[in-house]
Amino acid sequence: MDWTEIIIDSLKQSDTSLIAYVPDISIDRVTSKIDEDPYFHLVSATREEEAIGIAVGAYATGRNSAVFMQSSGFGNSINAIASLCIPARTPIPIFMNMRGGPGEFNIAQVPMGRATRPILDDLGLVHFTLDDEYNMDKIVNGAIKLCHANRQPVAICMTQLLHGGKLA
Amino acid sequence: MLRFDATKLVLTHASNSPIVGNLGPTTDELWHAGHRDRNFYTYGNMGLCSSIALGMAVSTDEKVISLDGDGSLLMNLGAIATIGREQPRNLVVIVWDNEQWGQTGHQDSHTAKGTDLEQVAQSCSIRNTATVRDIESLDEVMQKAMNEDGPWFIVAKIEEQGYMPVSPIEPEMTLYRFRNSFVS
Repeated sequence: MDWTEIIIDSLKQSDTSLIAYVPDISIDRVTSKIDEDPYFHLVSATREEEAIGIAVGAYATGRNSAVFMQSSGFGNSINAIASLCIPARTPIPIFMNMRGGPGEFNIAQVPMGRATRPILDDLGLVHFTLDDEYNMDKIVNGAIKLCHANRQPVAICMTQLLHGGKLA
Repeated sequence: MLRFDATKLVLTHASNSPIVGNLGPTTDELWHAGHRDRNFYTYGNMGLCSSIALGMAVSTDEKVISLDGDGSLLMNLGAIATIGREQPRNLVVIVWDNEQWGQTGHQDSHTAKGTDLEQVAQSCSIRNTATVRDIESLDEVMQKAMNEDGPWFIVAKIEEQGYMPVSPIEPEMTLYRFRNSFVS
C-alpha cells in the first residue's frame, strides 16, 4: 500500500466514514480517492473551522469523522478546536499537509507551517509527523486509536518528504 | 417576537429531533425552554452552529434543527454555501435575527444595514426559505419545515429583551448526553 491507501485503510478500520475537508493539492491524491469511494461521505467546506464543526456534528450523532486540511488552514481552525473539540472531548483525527518544511518555495507559507506543531503542543494535542511510509500504517492506525481513547483531536502531519509536495 | 417564546414554539415542533443551540443566549434559552438530551448546546466556537448541524444532518435521517444567530452566521457565511452544496433534506436552519451583536454591547450587525440572510441562502441554492416576524408565521413555516424536504432556511426577526440566567456550562456532558441518545 502507498501512503494514500494506508490512510484510507486506517479510516475504514476505525469506521471513520464522514470526511470534511478543504482542498489541498499535495494531499489531493488521498482526498480524491475518498471522494470516489462510496464508503465515505466527503463534505467540502469553505474554511477549515467549518470542517471542524461538520466533523463534530457527525461524531455527535455517532458517526466517526476526520478532517483534511493544510497547515495554513489549521490557523483558520484553532478556535474551533480550542473552544469546541477540546472542552467537549471530540476525537477528530486531523490529517494535515505541512507547509514550510524542506522544499517549501513560498515565504508566505513558512510562518504558519512552522508554528503549527508548537501551537498543537500549547493546546496539549498529540501530533505525529510523517516524512515517509516507514511504519506509517502502525502510526496512522495507532494515532486514530489514541485519538478515540483520549477523546481529543490528534494531528497527523504529512510533510513534503512523504507526499512530494507542491511544485513552484 | 421574543427569542424565548420562539424557542418554546420550536420545541413544540421538534419532537425528539436534535437541536443545536448557538452560543450565549440562544443556548441559555434553549436550556430554560426545555432541557433534553437531544439539545446540543454550544459555549464557544462562534459561527459553527449550523456547520455542526450540517455534520449531524449528513449522518442521521432525522430532522436536525440549527438555532443560529445573525452575528454568528455572518462570521461563517461559507456555512450557508456548504449547506447549499450538500442539500441535506433533513436540515432546518433557523436564524434568530436581532440585527445586532447583543452580547458585545448591542452594536448593529450587518443585517441592520442591508444584509438579507434569506437572500444569501437563496443565492446559495437553498430554495425553501422564509423570513418571519411573528410567532404565528414561525409556527406555520415550522409545520412545513418539519414535514417537507429541505434544506430549510428560516430567518426569524426577534426583539432583544434581556437575558436569562446562564445555563450550566458543561460541553463534555452535553456531547456525552447527546451522543448517547444515538449510540446507546
